[in-house]
Amino acid sequence: MTKRQGLYLDGVSVVFDGFRALNNLSLIVDPGELRAVIGPNGAGKTTMMDVITGKTRPTAGTVRFGDHDLTRMDEAAIANLGIGRKFQKPTVFDALTVFENLELALKAPRDPLSCLRWRLNAVSRARIGAVLEEIGLAARAADLAGVLSHGQRQWLEIGMLLMQDPELLLVDEPVAGMTDQETEQTAALLRRIAGHRSVVVVEHDLEFVRALGEKVTVLHEGTMLSEGSIDAVQNDPRVIEVYLGR
Amino acid sequence: MARLLLLIVLLLARPALAQDAYLDALPGLAGGFGAQAEAVERLGAGGNPRALPVLRALSEGRLMKRDSTVILNGTDAATGQPLDATGAETVRINNRVRSALRGALGRLQLVSANPDERFAAAESVFRSRSAENIPGLEAAIARETVPRVKERQELALAASRLVAPDAAVKRQGIATLGGASSEDARALLLEARNANPELAAEIDAAIAAIDTRLTFKRAAETLFQGLSLGSVLLLAALGLAITFGVMGVINMAHGEFVMLGAYTTFVVQEACRGIPWLLPWSLPLSVPAAFLVAGLAGAALERGLIRHLYGRPLETLLMTFGVGMILQQAVRLAFGAQNREVISPAWMQGTLPLPGGILITQNRLWVIVFAMLVLLLAIAAIRLTRFGLEMRAVVQNRRIAATMGIRTGRVDALTFAFGSGIAGMAGVALSQIDNVSPNLGTGYIIDSFMVVVFGGVGSLVGTLVGSMGLGVLNKVIEPWAGAVLAKVAVLVIIMLFIQRRPRGLFALKGRAADA
Amino acid sequence: MSGITATPAARGIPPRLLVRGAILAGIALLAALPLLNLLPAGSALRVSDFTVAVTGKWICYAVLALAIDIAWGYAGILSLGHGAFFALGGYAMGMHLMRLIGPRGVYGHPVLPDFMVFLGYRELPWYWLGFEHFPYALLMALLVPGALAFIVGWLSFRSRITGVYFSILTQAMTYALMLAFFRNDMGFGGNNGFTDFKELLGVPLNTQAARSGLFYAALLLLAGCLFLCRHIVSTKLGRVLVAVRDAESRVRFLGYSVTSFKLAVFTLSGMMAGLAGALYVPLVGIINPGEFAPGNSIEAVIWVAVGGRGTLIGAVLGAFSVNAVKTWLTSFAPDLWLFALGGLFVAVTLLLPQGLVGLFRRRAR
Repeated sequence: MTKRQGLYLDGVSVVFDGFRALNNLSLIVDPGELRAVIGPNGAGKTTMMDVITGKTRPTAGTVRFGDHDLTRMDEAAIANLGIGRKFQKPTVFDALTVFENLELALKAPRDPLSCLRWRLNAVSRARIGAVLEEIGLAARAADLAGVLSHGQRQWLEIGMLLMQDPELLLVDEPVAGMTDQETEQTAALLRRIAGHRSVVVVEHDLEFVRALGEKVTVLHEGTMLSEGSIDAVQNDPRVIEVYLGR
Repeated sequence: MARLLLLIVLLLARPALAQDAYLDALPGLAGGFGAQAEAVERLGAGGNPRALPVLRALSEGRLMKRDSTVILNGTDAATGQPLDATGAETVRINNRVRSALRGALGRLQLVSANPDERFAAAESVFRSRSAENIPGLEAAIARETVPRVKERQELALAASRLVAPDAAVKRQGIATLGGASSEDARALLLEARNANPELAAEIDAAIAAIDTRLTFKRAAETLFQGLSLGSVLLLAALGLAITFGVMGVINMAHGEFVMLGAYTTFVVQEACRGIPWLLPWSLPLSVPAAFLVAGLAGAALERGLIRHLYGRPLETLLMTFGVGMILQQAVRLAFGAQNREVISPAWMQGTLPLPGGILITQNRLWVIVFAMLVLLLAIAAIRLTRFGLEMRAVVQNRRIAATMGIRTGRVDALTFAFGSGIAGMAGVALSQIDNVSPNLGTGYIIDSFMVVVFGGVGSLVGTLVGSMGLGVLNKVIEPWAGAVLAKVAVLVIIMLFIQRRPRGLFALKGRAADA
Repeated sequence: MSGITATPAARGIPPRLLVRGAILAGIALLAALPLLNLLPAGSALRVSDFTVAVTGKWICYAVLALAIDIAWGYAGILSLGHGAFFALGGYAMGMHLMRLIGPRGVYGHPVLPDFMVFLGYRELPWYWLGFEHFPYALLMALLVPGALAFIVGWLSFRSRITGVYFSILTQAMTYALMLAFFRNDMGFGGNNGFTDFKELLGVPLNTQAARSGLFYAALLLLAGCLFLCRHIVSTKLGRVLVAVRDAESRVRFLGYSVTSFKLAVFTLSGMMAGLAGALYVPLVGIINPGEFAPGNSIEAVIWVAVGGRGTLIGAVLGAFSVNAVKTWLTSFAPDLWLFALGGLFVAVTLLLPQGLVGLFRRRAR
């Protein structure tokens, strides 16, 4: 990694037909930081991810990653900057094998002609093999992704993110619908991935956030309500009001 | 003043004078070409109604003569007594007489009892353009009670004045023509401009005034044609906006449901033939019938086939295309490949004149009215009824609607039947303006999809604006590009438009649109 | 998009050698047809001129089906306007064949085709220039459909027009082109299109040599396209296309420009269809605006569905089998053909979503 870049959101608003999904949201994630974002339903967590990854254009505000203005780039260009995203619902390519899924995610030239001429070399093969081991799917490399279980699909998707080797990783509710054991494994996996990367985790599950043990941002009605350690946030009267009713 | 006096005298003394002039002039018709022309002029100027059939017979080559007796249909034209016609010969005429005849007939018809004849007479006088017509026209205008005939006569008078020797009279003519809004008046003025350089300034002003009005008239007519085409598109697209826009089911057999509606209209009409008093009502009766036929076909299609393919739009598209083919071929075998005729009731025929010379065809007007009614009906059904409420609930969240006790399968079938039924009603309207043939629907399906895409999927208001917009756009481009290129141009415009607004004019935004 | 359509690269059943063998046997059988045509009239193995001509036509259809399949079956782009690319390629070749008629036309004009003389043209329109040269015409048969596919694709894909929207748009495209080509003043013969061709590359078209030559050219084109498509789907490019088909937005978040992949495959597909059309015209001896009819394009789509989309051999199989049934049925019960075709649309989508190839696969399992 040559240059470490931070994520910088300032005054971001997103309006859908008069509904403010994001309202003057500002957020700074430093290089290498692991940040948890929590908030009740409809707080704008997913919209925030959409804005960062270029799926939704903000109505107003600045979104920067290092020197790059993300509001002017499309999803593919943003992904190539080194921003990876894991969706709430795992999406992998069902008609391709586990190996092929990882191969597509591997850092390599992304244009059609390069893909036509692409040959898998020993280095790449080894790298895919390493990730297969890491996500525990080595034995299933030749199976279609479509036949994997829910948890395995989650891991495959995380594996694809590893192949992308992103600088900033956005993870949307990684443990939704997982068993306790799977949740634990996933938390460990995420911590390991984080390493030197910046990671933003959106989650409902406060225990999971506590397990991550990092700085927390609380969103409410599209704007930032509170920020700090999990204990500080949990004792913030405004947060208590939002979570426990008014 | 002298002219006015003369006119009054003429009017008062008319019957007696006219009678004498008629009898005096009549023998001239049996003479040489010169005498004939003169007699024709006098008969025309005399204004005796008896002269009309004589001159008509002359122009049609039916008038006979023996010596100086003129014979009309076996009677003496002077006395009206029956007469033995042996040895009589046909009266021959030359071009000079013929041109005199045209003006004379026109002048005589001006006093006819039949308004249509008077209208036609004014028309022919307008064309023949002679200063000699002026007194007759002035008299006719004074008597005229029917506005549209009077209007025409005034134009003819103006045209005649234009060729009068007196400059003041000419000016009168120019002023009247300048108030007209027809191409004919404009052409007359242009002609007069060459003949009368001294009046050029006034004529130019009059032409400019006509041009302004013509531009307005053309714009108004284009707008009407555009709205008319737009309402046809609206009718065809409305059902689609429900099945495709609301349910997300792409039904390529939609055009065939329109076709079924048109054939239902034909069948109802044939059934009504046996009961004469019912025949004028066959079209209104067809509306519910077509709604039912197409609606039932739609319900059968949805329950029998489409519901197995929910969530697979491309397969649905192919499958319904196949259904469309089968329906078309079945109708072709049952009714034959040739066009079937659906008669318009009397109250839908003819044209409706509007001020400013704008003509509107009645049946097109009715289609616009009908389209608006159907649109209101659809909106009311969705907004105000229990069925509409359940439908909207199922569209928004199928599972929650089901847990609240709504039978989603039944709602799907009803919604689809409703959209298909509207297609059937569109077929009733199309039977009035298009050929009823098995491939009636294919011509509309692509345009309808364009309307829905352009207007924004899932919005009936969008469908209204989309169809009217495309209709008017088509008609605006047509005059300088032709009908075919207009269609191509509209398609290109839609493609470019979608670049800016991929979800159409009235798009749902936000999360709902991503579903 | 629908569930699991397998890429050939991933499957073990049936043994790939068997498939390859069957393909080679099929090609060999087809290649033998013109030779069997040479046998004396009484021979039991003799194949009639008609059979050779009709089979040649089917081969062109198979290439068209292949073009549709690589876009639809692999990248999920369902075009309902591929008939337009086919027809444009055909018109390009038709223009060349018209220029070759020279003074042998009814009016005997040395340069202008008959219909232009009839319509009072003084000279050749600018876009007819160069078509007297065969390589130029062939190039145009490739480039014009390619350019149209590129423009339509670029406008659509960059604004994320997908699924049925794209299908409807392409259908409108071929419909608009049909209306345009029906016009006399377009300079493409209006209603009647082009016909009465005399020769190609110096060989009179009504000879056995020309028929066999065209047949082999078509077969070569089919084999070439089959090989090219097989190569593409076996590379990472093919896997990206499948990924685009199944989860387009996920591919974007992996950093691939979905627009350029779709554009590449759609343009290639348009070019293949154009070449198929270019060979089709001298084989059947006529091209007219009817080729642009939306029904033709959608019929070609159903060949692919019948054979099994997402499998290249399925597209070829579908084109042959549907057209064989069509030729057979239209000869003895023409009224029934449209019912059968409509029924085929319904049956395949409802009962046989993987097509004939899917059926064989299930058997093999």
